[in-house]
Amino acid sequence: MTERVAIVGVAQTRFAPKRSDVNYGEMAYEAISQVLKDTGLALPEDIDSAISCSHDIWDGQTISDIGITDVIGGHLRAEEKMAMDGSTAVFYGAVGILSGEYSCTLIMAHTKMSQTNRHIVNNVAFDPIYTRMLGFDFTSAAALQARRYMYKYGITREDAARVVVKNLANAKRNPCASQSGDFTVADVLSSPAVAPPLHKLDIAPDADGAVALILASEERARKITDKPVWILGIGTCYDAHYLGDRDLADTFALEKAAGRAYAMAGIKNPRRSVDLAEVGDEFSYQELLWLEGLGLCDRGEAGRFTASGATAIGGKLPVNPSGGLLSGVPANVAGLNRVAEAALQLRGEAGDRQVRGANIAVAQGHTGFCGQHQCVVVLGN
Amino acid sequence: MATKDKEWISIPMTVDVPYRFAAGGYMTKCLTELRDNGKIFAVECPKCKRVQLPPRVVCAECHVKNEKWVELPHEGTLMNFTIMYLPLTDPTTGKPHEPPFVYGSVRLDGATSVLDHMVEVEPDMDKVWVGMRCRLVLRPKEERIGDLSDIRYIEPLPGQKKPQTKSR
Ligand SMILES: [Zn+2]
Repeated sequence: MTERVAIVGVAQTRFAPKRSDVNYGEMAYEAISQVLKDTGLALPEDIDSAISCSHDIWDGQTISDIGITDVIGGHLRAEEKMAMDGSTAVFYGAVGILSGEYSCTLIMAHTKMSQTNRHIVNNVAFDPIYTRMLGFDFTSAAALQARRYMYKYGITREDAARVVVKNLANAKRNPCASQSGDFTVADVLSSPAVAPPLHKLDIAPDADGAVALILASEERARKITDKPVWILGIGTCYDAHYLGDRDLADTFALEKAAGRAYAMAGIKNPRRSVDLAEVGDEFSYQELLWLEGLGLCDRGEAGRFTASGATAIGGKLPVNPSGGLLSGVPANVAGLNRVAEAALQLRGEAGDRQVRGANIAVAQGHTGFCGQHQCVVVLGN
Repeated sequence: MATKDKEWISIPMTVDVPYRFAAGGYMTKCLTELRDNGKIFAVECPKCKRVQLPPRVVCAECHVKNEKWVELPHEGTLMNFTIMYLPLTDPTTGKPHEPPFVYGSVRLDGATSVLDHMVEVEPDMDKVWVGMRCRLVLRPKEERIGDLSDIRYIEPLPGQKKPQTKSR
């Protein structure tokens, strides 16, 4: 039985709009072989469980029977499959180690968005008897959420555009990023309208890629690395499925998930304690909304907070120094990439995007339209 | 006493998601060799020496990277089979296979794993058996397209008779 769980290794493929050169297993193996090499661990002897994360409809095959099992070391051993955001795989992995059943768990999330059509895949998330026939997808639902959030809290398109400008500039420092560049607020505002208030640059692009991460019990972690990143707190929470049951400007599920994670970590004032955040900016406004839901600024203040430069690399609270999802991270992989990036920061291995002096980081992932399911992970070194 | 049937609503819907699957490095080589040269290539694990078909990046048993390619002959032994009475659909064409037909798995000589395909044989328990020697029949070269349908079917080698056993 262990009292603490640590991240002992992280590896990521580069993210790209389309990886024609690899199938799922080969893409996953790029990240898995790298994290094994980095940690000096071997399969099967050093790792006693594995969790892979993707999604049946995204994959176009049931995730329980694809070639992932071979590459993740699940053959004739324990491998669990999870069809939610990759941050939640960290939750399950930590639970397995805390239970005493496992001591070292390999977690891997993968998706190839290039192989299908995001609007059709996401439509399947909607109730077949109620809203599915409208053709709803995550972008249209997000547009409704963005409108409501802007109306209720006075957030402007410019506020959201500043998130895009910051994150795509940050992504220039991230060799894994799928897209990056120097954009202006005017560029974002004048990019093609998709579902106003969301324009093209407000929306995370499709990408292919995989992320692998190894969790270990405290005893194992001390032997594997001299730079363990501890999971100080973790919490998850679901909100209502029907959009109509929620005020989309509210963040109740995130507040509850964050509350659990902060309480576990012994954090009373996250604004004082947290040094950086990696959040699920699937759409530009969501970085603002989630910052408020995480309690890192007051409700309705995230626009001004961002405009002040506080969330830039070198600011008071750097947010998505990696470039976030707006730089192109696959669905399902998104939250594991948030956790991985936060861990790299705390290990001091974030390269050109390194934030100085970070000791506590928050990573947030979400599943479903408008952030229905939320997972918050608090990490410390 | 007659009662009026209660009406229950249900909504018909086809969930139609288009895909285009990347074959990846290993299967691209395998399918290219099949299409262009009519050859069957598998990978051999450097550690346990299992010859794996389809070729894949990692040997599941040893967790080492497969890097050695081996060409397999087109002949092998039928390891199992079934006669199908369900009109199962080919998802690349949307058309059903006309029953009855035979599915089988052939272990090509020298391979560890088997190749599953249609067996071109009368759907008759006296005409097909486990242990039957078989060969692959490919499409003519000019008609090959680079997917598994370039193998048309498995057919029995001529001149064999089913061994007399009690079990089937
Ligand atoms: Zn082997």
